[in-house]
Parts: sequence; structure tokens; C-alpha cells
Amino acid sequence: MEKKLSEMNYEEEGRVESIEQNLKNKVAGMGIRVGKNLKMITKHPLKGPIVIEVDGAHTSLALSVADRIVVEVKK
Amino acid sequence: MKKILLMGNPNVGKSVFFNRLTGANVIESNYPGTTVDYTKGYMKGNSEDFEIIDVPGTFSLEPKDKAEEVAVKMLEEKKDALVICVIDASKIERGLYLALEIIERGYPVVLALNMWDVAEDKNIQIDIEKLKSILNIPVVPTIAISGKGFKEVVLSIKKAASVGVKEIMEKVGEIK
Repeated sequence: MEKKLSEMNYEEEGRVESIEQNLKNKVAGMGIRVGKNLKMITKHPLKGPIVIEVDGAHTSLALSVADRIVVEVKK
Repeated sequence: MKKILLMGNPNVGKSVFFNRLTGANVIESNYPGTTVDYTKGYMKGNSEDFEIIDVPGTFSLEPKDKAEEVAVKMLEEKKDALVICVIDASKIERGLYLALEIIERGYPVVLALNMWDVAEDKNIQIDIEKLKSILNIPVVPTIAISGKGFKEVVLSIKKAASVGVKEIMEKVGEIK
């Protein structure tokens, strides 16, 4: 099932399907690109940032950034 | 005096690196964003002295915040500098992204795979010889907090030269 990265639940894993064009280079430096496997680690309240795991490393992203990344969630 | 810029992602140990190379004592901590402005120091080499600049951490050369702006500006102002790109061996992909961007701009780069011990603990195996042959730059595994690999880094400074990204991409193409 496809959903926005910002909508992923706690501990849910998924594969990056698409990234908004003008965001691609911005997140590439953090190791996030199409085809990468991600895992949701933490979602902070009050529209705070999310923390995801990529390649065994934790990275935090603003919710507004996570809104623009689409992932295919693993069942 | 030849200038050396220490660049890398946030929280990879650039400041520990800086302190080791220069004998200075800038503040180090184990969270990202400790170095927001730059620090300058000097190192005595075998035949010449170097000015070393500890640059704030950045993920890419397209700045997203103040610290990254400082980093990119420093790089652009020091056209004749050599860059020691410090990357976290356990998070190698994002480090290599930045390293390639720096190489692409024509700077001679020495790649330091820092936190080598952490990568080993995580069972991450990195083929250094292959990396060297693909990138055509000196690649040195280091552990900044213990000082492992520093001699080799200093010796590698002489060997660093700017390389073409085109050739690197061709070699990467061959792997696939």
C-alpha cells in the first residue's frame, strides 16, 4: 500500500516510491532516494519531526518534508 | 601556506579530527551541530606547514541552514584548498554523496572513513582497495578518538589530486 512517509506508523517499514522533484537532491545527502528501505522510528507530537532508519542509521526529517515523500509500505 | 578543509556530514568527528591534527582543543560533543562556525588551526607536516579549517557539518553542497551555508561558503572561498572529507564509515552512502560533490567541484580530496570501529561493530564491510580504485583518491580508515589512521591521512595529503567525476561514474557504471 502506498502512503506518505509522514503517514507511516510506528515501526512500520517501507520502500521509497517517489520523492517530489525539487526535494530529491535535498534528501539524497541524507541517504534517502527512490528504492531505499525505511523504517519509522519516532513521530514527535504537535507536527514535530519524524525519525526514520535508513541503512541502519537514524535520520530526522521535518514533517513537511516527509509529506512530500511517498513510500510503499510492507505488509 | 597550503589550506586544508575538514568537511563531512554532521556528527562524524570532524572536530576530534581537527584537535588531533592541530593539537588544539575545540569543543567536541556527541551530537550533531556542535560546530556552527569554523575554527582554524595549524599543523606541522614533514616538509611544509598547513592551515587546517574545521568546517561545520553539511549533508550536501546545497545549503539548508546557517551552518551549511558557512560550510559551502568556506569551500567556495578557498579555491586552492585541499579537502579532507571525513565520513562515518557506518553511514557511508550519505558521506560518499558529499564526497562526490566536493570531488565534482575539482578539489583534491583525501577520504577518511572515520568511526571504522563502529562500522566493524555493526558488521559493515568496506572494500577500501575497490573504493580507492573507483574514486582514484586516497582512502584511509580512521578512528579519530583513538588516533588510528592519522599518520596515513597526513601522508596521503601529498598524494591527493583533483579527479574527474566522469571517470568515476564510468567505473561505477562498470560495477552494475
